[in-house]
Amino acid sequence: MSRQERPDDDGSRRISRRSYLAAVGASTTAFAAGCTGDGGTDTINVITWNDFAQDPVVNSVEENLDVNVEITTSTSSTEMFTRLNEGDDFDIAVPNNNLVPRFLSADLIEPVDMDVVSNYGDIYEKFRSFVDQQFTQDGDAFGVPIRWGWYGYAYNTDEVPDHDPSYRIMFEEDYVDTDLDSQIVMYDEAAKTMPVAALYLAEARDDPSYEEALTQDDRMTFTEQQIQDMRDLLIDQKPRLEGYISSDTTFIQEFQQGSFLVGHSGRNEIVRLQENQGVENVEFVVPQEGAMAWYETAVVASASDNVETAWEVVNEYISPGTGAELARAGKSPSCNPNVADELNETEQELYGRIDPQRIERFIPFKDIDPDVADAYNNAWEEVKS
Amino acid sequence: MAAPDRDESLRATLVGALSSDRTGLGVTALPGAVWIALLLLAPLAFMTAVSFVTRDPLTYQIVWEPSLENYRDLFVGGTTEYSLGPVGFQATAFEQAMLLSYAIATVATVLCLVLAFPLAYAMTRLGDRAFKVTIYLVLLPFFTMYLVRAYSWRLMFGGSGVLNQALGAVGVGPVGLFEYGVPAIIVGLTHAYFPYMLITLYASLDGLDFSLVEAARDLGASRVDVVKDHIVPLALPGIIGGSLFVFVPSVGAFITPQILGLGTVQMIGILIERRAIGAASNAPAAGAASVIVVLTIVVALLVVFRYVDLDELGGA
Amino acid sequence: MATETDERTEPAERTDEEFGDRLIDWRTREQLLQVGLYGTAALMLLFLWVPLLVIVFLSFTESPNLLPFEGFTLYNYTRVPGEADLQSSVVTSFGIATLSATIATAIGVLASFALTRYRFRFRELYRTFGIVPMIIPGVILGVGLRFYFQFLLPVEPGFLATVLTHSLYGLPFVLLIVTARLYTFDESLEEAARDLGADPLTTFRDVTFPVIAPAIAAGFLFAWVRSFEDYIRALFVSGVEVTPLTQWMFGKITKASAENLNLLNSVSTLVVLVIAIALAAAMNYGNVSGYVAGTAHEDEEE
Repeated sequence: MSRQERPDDDGSRRISRRSYLAAVGASTTAFAAGCTGDGGTDTINVITWNDFAQDPVVNSVEENLDVNVEITTSTSSTEMFTRLNEGDDFDIAVPNNNLVPRFLSADLIEPVDMDVVSNYGDIYEKFRSFVDQQFTQDGDAFGVPIRWGWYGYAYNTDEVPDHDPSYRIMFEEDYVDTDLDSQIVMYDEAAKTMPVAALYLAEARDDPSYEEALTQDDRMTFTEQQIQDMRDLLIDQKPRLEGYISSDTTFIQEFQQGSFLVGHSGRNEIVRLQENQGVENVEFVVPQEGAMAWYETAVVASASDNVETAWEVVNEYISPGTGAELARAGKSPSCNPNVADELNETEQELYGRIDPQRIERFIPFKDIDPDVADAYNNAWEEVKS
Repeated sequence: MAAPDRDESLRATLVGALSSDRTGLGVTALPGAVWIALLLLAPLAFMTAVSFVTRDPLTYQIVWEPSLENYRDLFVGGTTEYSLGPVGFQATAFEQAMLLSYAIATVATVLCLVLAFPLAYAMTRLGDRAFKVTIYLVLLPFFTMYLVRAYSWRLMFGGSGVLNQALGAVGVGPVGLFEYGVPAIIVGLTHAYFPYMLITLYASLDGLDFSLVEAARDLGASRVDVVKDHIVPLALPGIIGGSLFVFVPSVGAFITPQILGLGTVQMIGILIERRAIGAASNAPAAGAASVIVVLTIVVALLVVFRYVDLDELGGA
Repeated sequence: MATETDERTEPAERTDEEFGDRLIDWRTREQLLQVGLYGTAALMLLFLWVPLLVIVFLSFTESPNLLPFEGFTLYNYTRVPGEADLQSSVVTSFGIATLSATIATAIGVLASFALTRYRFRFRELYRTFGIVPMIIPGVILGVGLRFYFQFLLPVEPGFLATVLTHSLYGLPFVLLIVTARLYTFDESLEEAARDLGADPLTTFRDVTFPVIAPAIAAGFLFAWVRSFEDYIRALFVSGVEVTPLTQWMFGKITKASAENLNLLNSVSTLVVLVIAIALAAAMNYGNVSGYVAGTAHEDEEE
């Protein structure tokens, strides 16, 4: 019945394009009026993850540079994008790498000042190549990788037997000899869950094009057909799910409660479980099909009055000293391997230097290709229906 | 502070204004009219306008050119088989969310009605003191933050929730019904809006003349008949009003399904929030979905107000 | 029904004993029904209360889950004063609620006079739209105002935007309660005062206001509470930097670690406690229940 319902054109109040533009103009002026600098010690406003707001991190930056750092914490890269896009007064944002092209397309960010970000040359070669692929324009890089980590899955070793790590455990009933109905959790986020479906399908159907869509370009270039296949796979998977989980802390709590047995997860969550909570019946594995890696990336807003100071702060985040504080705060390794020198032995084991050979295996998260963005978003909405 | 003079003249102006009917109406009605026009009508009109433009998928900026694309996407291109009685169709995510929301809201409303009626009826028969205690016990959860109440059901439900743990302690379960999901959401919504129903029902039942009921009984009417012929008609405005206060917010609920669904139940409120500020970040698509929801609610209200006067709904 | 009619038509044929049995039977049934009615009512109160009591109980336990039971503690409460974010969010919510309820009350009281004292063309429409902000789903009001502030007005999401949003949301509560009171207000009192030479302001101050003051207070209270407990509208208009209490709490729920849940349990318990005291005080002082149930006029006219 709803199929026939159509909004009544005449009844709706439309605003002419001219007044649209007038409105946009008015708000832009207002935003511009809001941005004024002040003298003395510069204050740098950063919108970023909670780890950056921890005292040891903030203090380390402020001790090494003559700045005040004001952190606004956020829990999503999209939110960071939206805030900057709406004209909020931030100098730095630290979204995940996959969102950086979006900042770039919307003309919100400055190219990296390589003279100021002197630690850039020290970060893993692999990450510099990611930057080249994903957000470099006319030879200018537009973001600096700060920390990174990778996703795989974790399972309860009391209940789930040893097995060859594979995403098949999430999608195939008889992959292991444990009843996993309603015992699996996935992320409540298309960007994390859809690639898992793609990697699984690449192997299961022996069709590398699913994986190539993740690796070949600076965006995920799935075809509509591929997106539909991923959607169908995830819809079929739903009876096996306990739920979609949106935060790491919930993952940890639910795991300890025994609410699920297998969960798509980031490595740092499991490090937290093992290190902080003393949980022993958990094993984190990287599936043979491949694993997605995130790296958060600092960008500096074009609207900033202190672009140079902002880059100094960014440089500080990948310096050995501050970088080590950040690694500790989030249990995640820095993109600059030299940071490991500041960590003790246990810390090094958990989030220290990683063999560059291993990094080769990881696929960075990417934003969706605009051509299929609507199909991709619709597919995810249907998965969640 | 040469205030007295200015106060006096201000006062004189006000007195003058209030003494005339025309300006008196202006002074009293205008602020509300301005507020409603600027903060309710204008935003809804603007939202409708936004629903007819698109967002550039590359830059995420809004493209201010008229388009019906968002509305088409709401209803066209669905792939999930769905049947509504004998009618089968391919539902879009939006259609599924609408149907689910309306279904959940209907169940929650009926539950509220069935559960609140005996309590409301009992309350009309209580003595002063007992009434005061009861209304306190009802109002306290009512005034307690909505979020706290939704959260309390989060503790109750779930694989390791209070209900399943209690059952486990006596050797039963865990019971699937007490997992997070649709049943938990229905219970959460019923709990959240139950007091609205109760208070509205009570207000209409309170006007009930019990001597009429007794008389009917004396004349040999059965209990069912008394309820059907005397109590229900009297309580009808309360029943309809209360149902409205439960149904409409339940349709658009966000917190309850978000907290009690564990990401598996996509009601319309969640869908809209996701489109407005979630990863897809598509304001026009969120606007279109909102417009349709508002339209369906307006239609529902128009139907209801054909039968009940708004005045009778007052008090809640 | 048939048996009861029988009873009436042929009472003479019954022995006293039989009649007595029937009477007892009838009484038992009546009593059973009575018990059933009050029993159901009591169960409903239990349904309302059990989840809240569970929070209160868990706030005093070591673990945020019922089982395994790890003993009682006051530790969850000792953490509350050290939470700077929590305190600032409470202050924010108090500020927003107080300002928005004040605006809603001022506008709502005036509008109530317009609705009850004047006959004008769009009166019904005015009243309907005055109630819509209460009925319209929060997500939609929030989304609409967000786009409006963001694209059309120079109001960035933040404190002011939230106050404006909540002032609209609180308006219907004031309007409903105050109009209900004004409808039953005996206007001849005002006329008498005016006949005696009092101007409209004096009449209002000395005659009208004292009578409707409790209704205004109840309206303010309602608008205040609605603002204080709102999550969804504020989510869209409060911006990143302004964090009302509800957003702080929601954050603890979505980041559901044992630590967070323990803290949340104690904060929720404190909320229930504060509201319990405030409500008890309000009920003893004014006729809150009457205003809520719409029966105030019967209790204290004159």
